[in-house]
Amino acid sequence: MLRLSPNLVPMLVVALVVLVLYWPLMYLANIPAAQRALDTGAVLPCKTALECATQLRSPVLPSPQQLWQGFGNLMFPLNSQSAIPLNAAVTALETLVGLLLAAMLGFFFAIGMVASRAFERSLLPWIVASQTVPIIAIAPMLVVVLGQYGVQGWLPKAIIAAYIAFFPITIGVAKGLKSPDPLSLDLMKTYNASSWQTYLKLRFPASVPYLFTAFKVAMTAALIGAIVAEISTISFQGIGKMLAENSRASDVVAMWVIMLSSAALGILLVALVNWVEHLATPWRRVPQREGGGR
Amino acid sequence: MVFPNGTVALKEANLEIAQGEFISLIGPSGCGKTTLLRLLADLIQPSAGSIRIGGKTPEEARKSRAYGYVFQAPTLMEWRTVLQNVMLPLEVMGVPKAEHKPRAERMLALVGLGKFARHYPWQLSGGMQQRVSIARALAFDPQLLFMDEPFGALDEITRENLNLELLRLWRETGKTIIFVTHSIPEAVFLSTRIVVMTPRPGKIETVIPVDLPQPRNFETRETTRFFEIATLVREALRKGHGFEVSE
Ligand SMILES: Nc1ncnc2c1ncn2[C@@H]1O[C@H](COP(=O)(O)OP(=O)(O)OP(=O)(O)O)[C@@H](O)[C@H]1O
Ligand SMILES: [Mg+2]
Repeated sequence: MLRLSPNLVPMLVVALVVLVLYWPLMYLANIPAAQRALDTGAVLPCKTALECATQLRSPVLPSPQQLWQGFGNLMFPLNSQSAIPLNAAVTALETLVGLLLAAMLGFFFAIGMVASRAFERSLLPWIVASQTVPIIAIAPMLVVVLGQYGVQGWLPKAIIAAYIAFFPITIGVAKGLKSPDPLSLDLMKTYNASSWQTYLKLRFPASVPYLFTAFKVAMTAALIGAIVAEISTISFQGIGKMLAENSRASDVVAMWVIMLSSAALGILLVALVNWVEHLATPWRRVPQREGGGR
Repeated sequence: MVFPNGTVALKEANLEIAQGEFISLIGPSGCGKTTLLRLLADLIQPSAGSIRIGGKTPEEARKSRAYGYVFQAPTLMEWRTVLQNVMLPLEVMGVPKAEHKPRAERMLALVGLGKFARHYPWQLSGGMQQRVSIARALAFDPQLLFMDEPFGALDEITRENLNLELLRLWRETGKTIIFVTHSIPEAVFLSTRIVVMTPRPGKIETVIPVDLPQPRNFETRETTRFFEIATLVREALRKGHGFEVSE
Protein backbone atom coordinates (compact mmCIF):
# COMPACT_ATOMS: atom_id res chain seq x y z
CA MET A 1 0.00 0.00 0.00
CA LEU A 2 3.09 2.16 0.23
CA ARG A 3 2.92 2.44 -3.54
CA LEU A 4 -0.18 4.57 -3.16
CA SER A 5 1.48 7.23 -1.05
CA PRO A 6 2.29 9.70 -3.85
CA ASN A 7 -1.36 9.57 -4.93
CA LEU A 8 -2.56 9.92 -1.39
CA VAL A 9 -1.61 13.55 -0.97
CA PRO A 10 -3.62 14.94 -3.92
CA MET A 11 -6.47 12.63 -2.93
CA LEU A 12 -6.52 14.03 0.58
CA VAL A 13 -6.37 17.57 -0.76
CA VAL A 14 -9.46 16.89 -2.85
CA ALA A 15 -11.21 15.36 0.18
CA LEU A 16 -10.37 18.44 2.21
CA VAL A 17 -11.65 20.80 -0.48
CA VAL A 18 -14.89 18.81 -0.74
CA LEU A 19 -15.30 18.96 3.02
CA VAL A 20 -14.68 22.71 3.11
CA LEU A 21 -17.15 23.30 0.29
CA TYR A 22 -19.66 20.89 1.77
CA TRP A 23 -20.31 22.97 4.87
CA PRO A 24 -21.67 26.16 3.24
CA LEU A 25 -23.49 24.04 0.67
CA MET A 26 -25.19 22.07 3.42
CA TYR A 27 -26.35 25.27 5.16
CA LEU A 28 -27.52 26.71 1.88
CA ALA A 29 -29.59 23.62 1.16
CA ASN A 30 -30.98 23.09 4.64
CA ILE A 31 -31.80 26.59 5.91
CA PRO A 32 -34.99 26.98 3.82
CA ALA A 33 -36.17 23.55 4.97
CA ALA A 34 -35.34 24.45 8.58
CA GLN A 35 -37.21 27.74 8.25
CA ARG A 36 -40.24 25.91 6.93
CA ALA A 37 -40.11 23.48 9.82
CA LEU A 38 -39.92 26.37 12.32
CA ASP A 39 -42.77 28.17 10.57
CA THR A 40 -45.05 25.16 10.84
CA GLY A 41 -44.31 25.12 14.53
CA ALA A 42 -42.76 21.67 14.64
CA VAL A 43 -41.21 20.68 17.92
CA LEU A 44 -37.49 21.16 17.41
CA PRO A 45 -34.60 21.24 19.85
CA CYS A 46 -33.34 24.45 18.22
CA LYS A 47 -34.50 28.03 17.86
CA THR A 48 -32.99 29.58 14.73
CA ALA A 49 -32.98 28.28 11.16
CA LEU A 50 -29.18 28.36 11.23
CA GLU A 51 -29.12 26.11 14.27
CA CYS A 52 -31.79 23.78 12.97
CA ALA A 53 -30.07 23.37 9.60
CA THR A 54 -27.78 20.75 11.10
CA GLN A 55 -30.50 18.87 12.99
CA LEU A 56 -33.31 18.24 10.51
CA ARG A 57 -34.80 14.76 10.50
CA SER A 58 -34.94 14.71 6.69
CA PRO A 59 -32.20 17.09 5.64
CA VAL A 60 -31.52 17.82 1.99
CA LEU A 61 -27.86 17.34 2.83
CA PRO A 62 -27.04 15.79 6.20
CA SER A 63 -24.61 17.70 8.35
CA PRO A 64 -21.25 16.09 9.09
CA GLN A 65 -22.32 15.67 12.73
CA GLN A 66 -25.44 13.82 11.63
CA LEU A 67 -23.42 11.58 9.33
CA TRP A 68 -21.01 10.85 12.13
CA GLN A 69 -23.85 9.94 14.44
CA GLY A 70 -25.47 7.89 11.68
CA PHE A 71 -22.31 5.91 11.21
CA GLY A 72 -22.15 5.33 14.93
CA ASN A 73 -25.71 4.02 14.95
CA LEU A 74 -25.43 1.85 11.86
CA MET A 75 -21.98 0.33 12.34
CA PHE A 76 -22.57 -1.19 15.76
CA PRO A 77 -22.93 -3.74 17.05
CA LEU A 78 -20.73 -5.29 14.41
CA ASN A 79 -22.64 -8.56 14.25
CA SER A 80 -26.12 -7.07 14.37
CA GLN A 81 -28.55 -8.09 11.64
CA SER A 82 -29.48 -4.46 11.13
CA ALA A 83 -25.98 -2.96 11.15
CA ILE A 84 -23.86 -2.27 8.12
CA PRO A 85 -20.91 -4.66 8.63
CA LEU A 86 -22.88 -7.90 8.41
CA ASN A 87 -25.03 -6.65 5.53
CA ALA A 88 -22.01 -5.31 3.65
CA ALA A 89 -20.33 -8.67 4.11
CA VAL A 90 -23.32 -10.43 2.58
CA THR A 91 -23.34 -8.04 -0.38
CA ALA A 92 -19.58 -8.49 -0.78
CA LEU A 93 -20.03 -12.25 -0.77
CA GLU A 94 -22.73 -12.03 -3.43
CA THR A 95 -20.50 -9.78 -5.50
CA LEU A 96 -17.44 -12.01 -5.22
CA VAL A 97 -19.33 -15.22 -5.94
CA GLY A 98 -21.01 -13.41 -8.82
CA LEU A 99 -17.64 -12.35 -10.16
CA LEU A 100 -16.35 -15.90 -9.90
CA LEU A 101 -19.36 -17.26 -11.78
CA ALA A 102 -18.94 -14.47 -14.32
CA ALA A 103 -15.27 -15.32 -14.75
CA MET A 104 -16.07 -18.96 -15.50
CA LEU A 105 -18.78 -18.00 -17.95
CA GLY A 106 -16.59 -15.28 -19.45
CA PHE A 107 -13.67 -17.64 -20.02
CA PHE A 108 -15.94 -20.19 -21.61
CA PHE A 109 -17.39 -17.67 -24.05
CA ALA A 110 -14.04 -15.99 -24.72
CA ILE A 111 -12.27 -19.25 -25.54
CA GLY A 112 -15.16 -20.25 -27.74
CA MET A 113 -15.03 -16.92 -29.54
CA VAL A 114 -11.28 -17.09 -30.12
CA ALA A 115 -11.29 -20.75 -31.12
CA SER A 116 -14.23 -20.57 -33.51
CA ARG A 117 -15.32 -17.80 -35.81
CA ALA A 118 -18.73 -19.42 -36.18
CA PHE A 119 -19.18 -19.44 -32.41
CA GLU A 120 -18.28 -15.76 -32.22
CA ARG A 121 -20.53 -14.76 -35.07
CA SER A 122 -23.54 -16.71 -33.82
CA LEU A 123 -23.23 -15.89 -30.13
CA LEU A 124 -21.75 -12.42 -29.79
CA PRO A 125 -24.93 -10.59 -30.87
CA TRP A 126 -26.88 -12.50 -28.23
CA ILE A 127 -24.30 -11.78 -25.58
CA VAL A 128 -24.53 -8.09 -26.41
CA ALA A 129 -28.32 -8.27 -26.48
CA SER A 130 -28.37 -9.89 -23.04
CA GLN A 131 -26.78 -6.72 -21.64
CA THR A 132 -29.40 -4.41 -23.09
CA VAL A 133 -32.12 -5.88 -20.89
CA PRO A 134 -32.27 -3.71 -17.77
CA ILE A 135 -31.03 -5.69 -14.82
CA ILE A 136 -33.81 -4.26 -12.68
CA ALA A 137 -36.37 -5.88 -14.99
CA ILE A 138 -34.68 -9.27 -14.92
CA ALA A 139 -33.86 -9.52 -11.23
CA PRO A 140 -37.32 -10.15 -9.73
CA MET A 141 -38.18 -12.66 -12.42
CA LEU A 142 -34.90 -14.54 -11.99
CA VAL A 143 -35.40 -14.71 -8.25
CA VAL A 144 -38.88 -16.13 -8.64
CA VAL A 145 -37.75 -18.69 -11.20
CA LEU A 146 -34.71 -19.71 -9.18
CA GLY A 147 -36.87 -19.88 -6.05
CA GLN A 148 -38.94 -22.58 -7.73
CA TYR A 149 -35.79 -24.69 -7.88
CA GLY A 150 -35.05 -24.04 -4.24
CA VAL A 151 -32.27 -21.51 -4.94
CA GLN A 152 -32.77 -18.86 -2.29
CA GLY A 153 -31.01 -16.33 -0.09
CA TRP A 154 -27.79 -14.80 -1.38
CA LEU A 155 -27.24 -17.16 -4.33
CA PRO A 156 -29.84 -15.65 -6.68
CA LYS A 157 -28.26 -12.24 -6.08
CA ALA A 158 -24.83 -13.64 -6.94
CA ILE A 159 -26.31 -15.05 -10.14
CA ILE A 160 -27.79 -11.69 -11.04
CA ALA A 161 -24.43 -10.05 -10.30
CA ALA A 162 -22.79 -12.61 -12.60
CA TYR A 163 -25.34 -11.83 -15.29
CA ILE A 164 -24.01 -8.30 -15.77
CA ALA A 165 -20.39 -9.02 -14.81
CA PHE A 166 -19.74 -11.77 -17.36
CA PHE A 167 -19.98 -9.37 -20.27
CA PRO A 168 -16.90 -7.21 -19.59
CA ILE A 169 -14.98 -10.36 -18.67
CA THR A 170 -15.93 -12.11 -21.90
CA ILE A 171 -14.88 -9.13 -24.00
CA GLY A 172 -11.69 -8.52 -22.01
CA VAL A 173 -10.52 -12.12 -22.03
CA ALA A 174 -11.33 -12.55 -25.72
CA LYS A 175 -9.26 -9.46 -26.46
CA GLY A 176 -6.45 -10.77 -24.26
CA LEU A 177 -6.46 -14.20 -25.89
CA LYS A 178 -6.16 -12.52 -29.27
CA SER A 179 -3.43 -10.14 -28.10
CA PRO A 180 -0.26 -12.20 -28.85
CA ASP A 181 1.46 -10.80 -31.91
CA PRO A 182 1.70 -12.93 -35.07
CA LEU A 183 5.42 -13.55 -34.58
CA SER A 184 4.86 -15.09 -31.15
CA LEU A 185 2.24 -17.37 -32.67
CA ASP A 186 4.74 -18.24 -35.42
CA LEU A 187 7.30 -19.02 -32.75
CA MET A 188 4.95 -21.53 -31.13
CA LYS A 189 4.31 -22.97 -34.57
CA THR A 190 8.03 -23.54 -35.15
CA TYR A 191 8.01 -25.57 -31.93
CA ASN A 192 5.12 -27.57 -33.37
CA ALA A 193 3.18 -26.65 -30.22
CA SER A 194 -0.31 -28.09 -29.89
CA SER A 195 -3.13 -25.61 -29.73
CA TRP A 196 -3.56 -26.43 -26.04
CA GLN A 197 0.12 -25.59 -25.47
CA THR A 198 -0.31 -22.35 -27.37
CA TYR A 199 -3.14 -21.44 -25.02
CA LEU A 200 -1.25 -22.48 -21.94
CA LYS A 201 2.11 -20.91 -22.75
CA LEU A 202 1.08 -17.93 -24.82
CA ARG A 203 -2.57 -16.96 -24.99
CA PHE A 204 -3.52 -17.31 -21.32
CA PRO A 205 -0.50 -15.48 -19.90
CA ALA A 206 -0.86 -12.76 -22.53
CA SER A 207 -4.47 -12.24 -21.48
CA VAL A 208 -3.72 -11.74 -17.78
CA PRO A 209 -3.39 -7.92 -17.90
CA TYR A 210 -6.60 -7.72 -19.93
CA LEU A 211 -8.27 -10.04 -17.45
CA PHE A 212 -7.56 -7.76 -14.52
CA THR A 213 -8.70 -4.66 -16.34
CA ALA A 214 -11.90 -6.54 -17.11
CA PHE A 215 -12.17 -7.68 -13.49
CA LYS A 216 -12.12 -4.11 -12.25
CA VAL A 217 -14.97 -3.14 -14.53
CA ALA A 218 -16.80 -6.37 -13.78
CA MET A 219 -16.38 -5.95 -10.03
CA THR A 220 -18.24 -2.63 -9.96
CA ALA A 221 -20.85 -4.06 -12.31
CA ALA A 222 -21.29 -7.09 -10.07
CA LEU A 223 -21.65 -4.90 -6.99
CA ILE A 224 -24.35 -2.85 -8.69
CA GLY A 225 -26.01 -6.07 -9.78
CA ALA A 226 -25.98 -7.48 -6.28
CA ILE A 227 -27.41 -4.32 -4.71
CA VAL A 228 -30.06 -3.90 -7.38
CA ALA A 229 -31.00 -7.55 -6.92
CA GLU A 230 -31.32 -7.02 -3.18
CA ILE A 231 -33.47 -3.95 -3.62
CA SER A 232 -35.76 -5.37 -6.27
CA THR A 233 -36.47 -8.68 -4.57
CA ILE A 234 -37.43 -9.82 -1.13
CA SER A 235 -34.19 -9.77 0.85
CA PHE A 236 -33.37 -10.32 4.45
CA GLN A 237 -29.76 -9.24 4.30
CA GLY A 238 -27.50 -6.96 2.32
CA ILE A 239 -26.80 -3.33 1.56
CA GLY A 240 -29.71 -3.25 -0.86
CA LYS A 241 -32.10 -4.47 1.80
CA MET A 242 -30.92 -1.71 4.16
CA LEU A 243 -31.39 0.90 1.44
CA ALA A 244 -34.91 -0.31 0.69
CA GLU A 245 -35.81 -0.39 4.38
CA ASN A 246 -34.55 3.10 5.13
CA SER A 247 -36.09 4.44 1.98
CA ARG A 248 -39.47 3.25 3.18
CA ALA A 249 -38.73 4.87 6.55
CA SER A 250 -37.55 8.07 4.80
CA ASP A 251 -34.42 8.07 6.92
CA VAL A 252 -32.27 10.32 4.77
CA VAL A 253 -29.26 10.30 7.07
CA ALA A 254 -29.20 6.51 7.20
CA MET A 255 -29.45 6.32 3.42
CA TRP A 256 -26.50 8.64 3.10
CA VAL A 257 -24.51 6.52 5.49
CA ILE A 258 -25.40 3.33 3.62
CA MET A 259 -24.61 4.95 0.29
CA LEU A 260 -21.19 6.08 1.50
CA SER A 261 -20.57 2.62 2.95
CA SER A 262 -21.43 0.94 -0.33
CA ALA A 263 -19.04 3.31 -2.08
CA ALA A 264 -16.35 2.29 0.38
CA LEU A 265 -17.22 -1.35 -0.26
CA GLY A 266 -16.82 -0.79 -4.00
CA ILE A 267 -13.44 0.85 -3.52
CA LEU A 268 -12.39 -1.98 -1.24
CA LEU A 269 -13.39 -4.64 -3.77
CA VAL A 270 -11.57 -2.91 -6.63
CA ALA A 271 -8.53 -2.50 -4.38
CA LEU A 272 -8.73 -6.24 -3.81
CA VAL A 273 -8.50 -6.81 -7.56
CA ASN A 274 -5.56 -4.41 -7.74
CA TRP A 275 -3.81 -6.30 -5.01
CA VAL A 276 -4.35 -9.70 -6.63
CA GLU A 277 -3.18 -8.21 -9.92
CA HIS A 278 -0.03 -6.98 -8.25
CA LEU A 279 0.65 -10.48 -6.94
CA ALA A 280 -0.23 -12.22 -10.20
CA THR A 281 1.86 -10.08 -12.54
CA PRO A 282 5.35 -9.90 -11.05
CA TRP A 283 6.82 -8.94 -14.42
CA ARG A 284 4.96 -5.65 -14.43
CA ARG A 285 6.31 -4.52 -11.10
CA VAL A 286 8.61 -1.61 -11.52
CA PRO A 287 11.48 -1.90 -9.04
CA GLN A 288 12.00 1.01 -6.69
CA ARG A 289 14.34 3.58 -8.10
CA GLU A 290 16.82 5.33 -5.91
CA GLY A 291 15.42 8.30 -4.07
CA GLY A 292 12.04 6.92 -3.15
CA GLY A 293 9.05 5.23 -4.73
CA ARG A 294 7.48 6.07 -7.99
CA MET B 1 6.14 -16.88 -54.04
CA VAL B 2 3.08 -14.74 -54.68
CA PHE B 3 1.17 -13.34 -51.70
CA PRO B 4 -2.66 -13.26 -51.81
CA ASN B 5 -2.55 -9.53 -52.49
CA GLY B 6 -0.57 -10.17 -55.65
CA THR B 7 2.86 -9.15 -54.38
CA VAL B 8 5.45 -11.27 -56.11
CA ALA B 9 7.92 -11.71 -53.30
CA LEU B 10 10.13 -14.42 -54.76
CA LYS B 11 10.48 -15.46 -58.35
CA GLU B 12 13.59 -17.46 -59.00
CA ALA B 13 15.08 -19.18 -56.05
CA ASN B 14 16.83 -22.40 -56.89
CA LEU B 15 19.32 -23.41 -54.31
CA GLU B 16 20.69 -26.57 -52.86
CA ILE B 17 22.25 -26.49 -49.45
CA ALA B 18 24.40 -29.30 -48.14
CA GLN B 19 24.34 -30.40 -44.54
CA GLY B 20 26.72 -28.50 -42.31
CA GLU B 21 26.87 -25.43 -44.55
CA PHE B 22 26.70 -21.87 -43.30
CA ILE B 23 24.67 -19.93 -45.84
CA SER B 24 24.18 -16.17 -45.68
CA LEU B 25 21.33 -14.45 -47.47
CA ILE B 26 22.17 -10.87 -48.32
CA GLY B 27 20.21 -8.36 -50.32
CA PRO B 28 18.41 -5.04 -50.14
CA SER B 29 15.40 -4.56 -47.90
CA GLY B 30 12.26 -6.13 -49.31
CA CYS B 31 14.01 -8.58 -51.62
CA GLY B 32 12.36 -11.57 -49.97
CA LYS B 33 14.94 -12.89 -47.52
CA THR B 34 12.45 -13.23 -44.68
CA THR B 35 9.93 -14.66 -47.12
CA LEU B 36 12.44 -17.33 -48.15
CA LEU B 37 13.12 -18.30 -44.53
CA ARG B 38 9.42 -18.42 -43.76
CA LEU B 39 8.89 -20.71 -46.73
CA LEU B 40 11.63 -23.03 -45.50
CA ALA B 41 10.13 -22.96 -42.00
CA ASP B 42 6.60 -23.79 -43.18
CA LEU B 43 5.27 -20.54 -41.76
CA ILE B 44 3.92 -19.78 -45.23
CA GLN B 45 3.28 -22.11 -48.15
CA PRO B 46 4.79 -21.56 -51.61
CA SER B 47 2.40 -20.68 -54.41
CA ALA B 48 4.59 -22.75 -56.75
CA GLY B 49 7.71 -24.85 -56.55
CA SER B 50 8.90 -27.31 -53.99
CA ILE B 51 11.16 -27.35 -50.99
CA ARG B 52 12.87 -30.32 -49.39
CA ILE B 53 14.72 -30.29 -46.11
CA GLY B 54 16.76 -33.44 -45.68
CA GLY B 55 14.21 -35.22 -47.88
CA LYS B 56 11.27 -33.88 -45.86
CA THR B 57 8.74 -31.25 -46.78
CA PRO B 58 8.95 -28.08 -44.67
CA GLU B 59 5.82 -29.19 -42.84
CA GLU B 60 7.34 -32.54 -41.93
CA ALA B 61 10.55 -30.80 -40.90
CA ARG B 62 8.61 -28.41 -38.68
CA LYS B 63 6.62 -31.21 -37.12
CA SER B 64 9.79 -33.13 -36.32
CA ARG B 65 11.19 -29.96 -34.76
CA ALA B 66 14.12 -30.04 -37.11
CA TYR B 67 14.94 -26.35 -37.01
CA GLY B 68 15.25 -23.38 -34.70
CA TYR B 69 14.12 -19.99 -35.93
CA VAL B 70 15.50 -16.66 -34.72
CA PHE B 71 13.07 -13.98 -35.82
CA GLN B 72 13.97 -10.49 -36.94
CA ALA B 73 12.40 -9.23 -33.66
CA PRO B 74 13.18 -10.86 -30.29
CA THR B 75 9.55 -12.02 -29.63
CA LEU B 76 10.23 -12.74 -25.98
CA MET B 77 7.35 -13.33 -23.62
CA GLU B 78 7.16 -10.43 -21.22
CA TRP B 79 5.78 -12.49 -18.35
CA ARG B 80 8.71 -14.88 -18.40
CA THR B 81 12.12 -14.14 -17.01
CA VAL B 82 15.05 -14.39 -19.40
CA LEU B 83 15.78 -17.91 -18.15
CA GLN B 84 12.15 -18.97 -18.47
CA ASN B 85 12.06 -17.62 -22.01
CA VAL B 86 14.98 -19.82 -22.97
CA MET B 87 13.24 -22.76 -21.30
CA LEU B 88 10.08 -22.29 -23.37
CA PRO B 89 10.94 -24.66 -26.26
CA LEU B 90 12.12 -27.28 -23.80
CA GLU B 91 8.76 -27.11 -22.01
CA VAL B 92 6.79 -27.30 -25.24
CA MET B 93 8.85 -30.17 -26.59
CA GLY B 94 8.59 -32.24 -23.45
CA VAL B 95 12.30 -32.33 -22.61
CA PRO B 96 12.75 -33.91 -19.14
CA LYS B 97 12.15 -31.22 -16.56
CA ALA B 98 15.45 -31.69 -14.77
CA GLU B 99 17.30 -30.62 -17.92
CA HIS B 100 15.44 -27.35 -18.47
CA LYS B 101 17.36 -25.11 -16.13
CA PRO B 102 20.93 -26.32 -16.69
CA ARG B 103 20.45 -26.28 -20.46
CA ALA B 104 18.91 -22.82 -20.49
CA GLU B 105 21.68 -21.52 -18.23
CA ARG B 106 24.32 -22.96 -20.53
CA MET B 107 22.74 -21.25 -23.55
CA LEU B 108 22.53 -17.93 -21.72
CA ALA B 109 26.18 -18.16 -20.76
CA LEU B 110 26.95 -18.84 -24.42
CA VAL B 111 25.39 -15.55 -25.50
CA GLY B 112 27.00 -13.74 -22.59
CA LEU B 113 23.84 -13.18 -20.54
CA GLY B 114 24.44 -15.58 -17.66
CA LYS B 115 24.04 -12.74 -15.17
CA PHE B 116 20.66 -11.70 -16.51
CA ALA B 117 18.80 -14.98 -16.08
CA ARG B 118 16.38 -13.57 -13.53
CA HIS B 119 15.65 -10.31 -15.33
CA TYR B 120 12.51 -9.65 -17.28
CA PRO B 121 12.82 -8.88 -21.00
CA TRP B 122 11.90 -5.21 -20.61
CA GLN B 123 14.87 -4.76 -18.32
CA LEU B 124 17.21 -5.68 -21.20
CA SER B 125 18.40 -3.65 -24.16
CA GLY B 126 17.18 -4.56 -27.64
CA GLY B 127 20.44 -6.27 -28.49
CA MET B 128 20.40 -8.29 -25.27
CA GLN B 129 16.82 -9.36 -25.98
CA GLN B 130 17.91 -10.56 -29.40
CA ARG B 131 20.69 -12.61 -27.81
CA VAL B 132 18.12 -14.21 -25.50
CA SER B 133 16.11 -15.20 -28.54
CA ILE B 134 19.24 -16.80 -30.02
CA ALA B 135 19.83 -18.72 -26.81
CA ARG B 136 16.22 -19.83 -26.97
CA ALA B 137 16.60 -21.14 -30.53
CA LEU B 138 19.74 -23.03 -29.55
CA ALA B 139 18.24 -24.48 -26.39
CA PHE B 140 16.66 -27.54 -27.97
CA ASP B 141 19.73 -28.21 -30.11
CA PRO B 142 18.14 -28.25 -33.56
CA GLN B 143 20.27 -29.50 -36.45
CA LEU B 144 19.15 -26.61 -38.63
CA LEU B 145 19.05 -22.92 -37.70
CA PHE B 146 17.24 -20.12 -39.49
CA MET B 147 18.47 -16.74 -38.32
CA ASP B 148 16.83 -13.57 -39.59
CA GLU B 149 19.20 -10.65 -38.98
CA PRO B 150 19.94 -11.82 -35.45
CA PHE B 151 22.73 -9.31 -34.92
CA GLY B 152 21.14 -6.37 -36.69
CA ALA B 153 20.54 -4.49 -33.46
CA LEU B 154 24.02 -4.91 -32.02
CA ASP B 155 27.07 -2.70 -31.88
CA GLU B 156 30.05 -3.64 -34.02
CA ILE B 157 32.21 -5.14 -31.28
CA THR B 158 29.47 -7.23 -29.70
CA ARG B 159 28.47 -8.34 -33.15
CA GLU B 160 32.00 -9.48 -34.00
CA ASN B 161 32.24 -11.36 -30.73
CA LEU B 162 28.93 -13.10 -31.33
CA ASN B 163 29.99 -13.86 -34.90
CA LEU B 164 32.97 -15.68 -33.47
CA GLU B 165 30.80 -17.52 -30.93
CA LEU B 166 28.32 -18.53 -33.60
CA LEU B 167 31.09 -19.76 -35.85
CA ARG B 168 32.57 -21.82 -33.03
CA LEU B 169 29.19 -23.28 -32.22
CA TRP B 170 28.64 -24.11 -35.87
CA ARG B 171 32.03 -25.82 -36.18
CA GLU B 172 31.62 -27.81 -32.99
CA THR B 173 28.06 -28.94 -33.56
CA GLY B 174 28.01 -29.34 -37.32
CA LYS B 175 24.70 -27.49 -37.56
CA THR B 176 23.41 -26.16 -40.84
CA ILE B 177 22.78 -22.43 -40.56
CA ILE B 178 20.85 -20.15 -42.89
CA PHE B 179 21.57 -16.61 -41.88
CA VAL B 180 20.09 -13.33 -43.11
CA THR B 181 22.22 -10.23 -42.84
CA HIS B 182 22.65 -6.75 -44.27
CA SER B 183 26.33 -6.66 -43.40
CA ILE B 184 28.83 -7.68 -46.08
CA PRO B 185 31.75 -8.28 -43.65
CA GLU B 186 29.50 -10.39 -41.46
CA ALA B 187 28.37 -12.50 -44.41
CA VAL B 188 31.92 -13.01 -45.64
CA PHE B 189 33.26 -13.81 -42.22
CA LEU B 190 30.62 -16.39 -41.31
CA SER B 191 29.57 -18.15 -44.48
CA THR B 192 30.63 -21.07 -46.55
CA ARG B 193 28.50 -19.55 -49.32
CA ILE B 194 26.80 -16.20 -49.73
CA VAL B 195 23.49 -15.98 -51.54
CA VAL B 196 23.06 -12.52 -53.04
CA MET B 197 19.43 -11.63 -53.66
CA THR B 198 17.90 -8.81 -55.68
CA PRO B 199 14.44 -7.25 -55.41
CA ARG B 200 11.37 -6.64 -57.59
CA PRO B 201 10.72 -9.47 -58.04
CA GLY B 202 12.92 -11.13 -55.43
CA LYS B 203 15.36 -13.60 -56.92
CA ILE B 204 18.73 -15.13 -56.30
CA GLU B 205 21.30 -13.08 -58.21
CA THR B 206 24.40 -15.14 -57.56
CA VAL B 207 25.86 -17.52 -55.07
CA ILE B 208 29.38 -16.66 -53.99
CA PRO B 209 31.46 -19.40 -52.36
CA VAL B 210 33.70 -18.27 -49.53
CA ASP B 211 36.96 -20.18 -49.49
CA LEU B 212 38.46 -18.54 -46.43
CA PRO B 213 40.13 -21.24 -44.32
CA GLN B 214 38.62 -22.51 -41.09
CA PRO B 215 38.86 -21.90 -38.21
CA ARG B 216 38.37 -18.21 -38.79
CA ASN B 217 39.34 -15.63 -36.22
CA PHE B 218 39.81 -11.90 -35.89
CA GLU B 219 42.81 -11.96 -38.25
CA THR B 220 40.64 -13.46 -40.98
CA ARG B 221 39.04 -10.06 -41.38
CA GLU B 222 42.40 -8.50 -42.20
CA THR B 223 43.35 -10.85 -45.03
CA THR B 224 43.40 -9.86 -48.70
CA ARG B 225 41.12 -12.74 -49.63
CA PHE B 226 38.52 -11.41 -47.20
CA PHE B 227 38.45 -8.08 -48.97
CA GLU B 228 38.39 -9.70 -52.41
CA ILE B 229 35.29 -11.69 -51.54
CA ALA B 230 33.67 -8.68 -49.88
CA THR B 231 34.20 -6.76 -53.14
CA LEU B 232 32.59 -9.56 -55.13
CA VAL B 233 29.54 -9.44 -52.88
CA ARG B 234 29.35 -5.67 -53.10
CA GLU B 235 29.44 -5.75 -56.88
CA ALA B 236 26.76 -8.39 -57.06
CA LEU B 237 24.59 -6.28 -54.76
CA ARG B 238 25.15 -3.17 -56.90
CA LYS B 239 24.04 -5.03 -59.97
CA GLY B 240 20.84 -5.89 -58.15
CA HIS B 241 20.29 -2.27 -57.25
CA GLY B 242 20.62 -1.34 -60.92
CA PHE B 243 23.86 0.57 -60.41
CA GLU B 244 26.51 0.18 -63.06
CA VAL B 245 29.58 -1.59 -61.80
CA SER B 246 32.40 0.86 -62.24
CA GLU B 247 36.06 -0.02 -62.62
N1 LIG C 1 2.22 -11.28 -45.87
C1 LIG C 1 2.59 -10.56 -46.94
N2 LIG C 1 1.66 -10.18 -47.86
C2 LIG C 1 2.02 -9.45 -48.94
N3 LIG C 1 3.27 -9.06 -49.21
C3 LIG C 1 4.24 -9.42 -48.35
C4 LIG C 1 3.95 -10.18 -47.17
N4 LIG C 1 5.11 -10.38 -46.50
C5 LIG C 1 6.07 -9.77 -47.22
N5 LIG C 1 5.55 -9.21 -48.34
C6 LIG C 1 6.30 -8.49 -49.39
O1 LIG C 1 7.27 -9.37 -49.87
C7 LIG C 1 8.47 -8.66 -50.13
C8 LIG C 1 9.63 -9.32 -49.44
O2 LIG C 1 9.48 -9.16 -48.05
P1 LIG C 1 10.52 -9.76 -47.02
O3 LIG C 1 9.99 -9.51 -45.65
O4 LIG C 1 10.82 -11.16 -47.38
O5 LIG C 1 11.79 -8.83 -47.27
P2 LIG C 1 13.22 -8.90 -46.60
O6 LIG C 1 14.20 -9.23 -47.67
O7 LIG C 1 13.22 -9.77 -45.42
O8 LIG C 1 13.46 -7.39 -46.18
P3 LIG C 1 14.21 -6.79 -44.88
O9 LIG C 1 15.66 -6.84 -45.18
O10 LIG C 1 13.72 -5.39 -44.82
O11 LIG C 1 13.80 -7.60 -43.71
C9 LIG C 1 8.25 -7.24 -49.71
O12 LIG C 1 8.02 -6.46 -50.87
C10 LIG C 1 7.01 -7.28 -48.86
O13 LIG C 1 6.27 -6.11 -49.05
MG1 LIG D 1 13.33 -9.46 -43.35
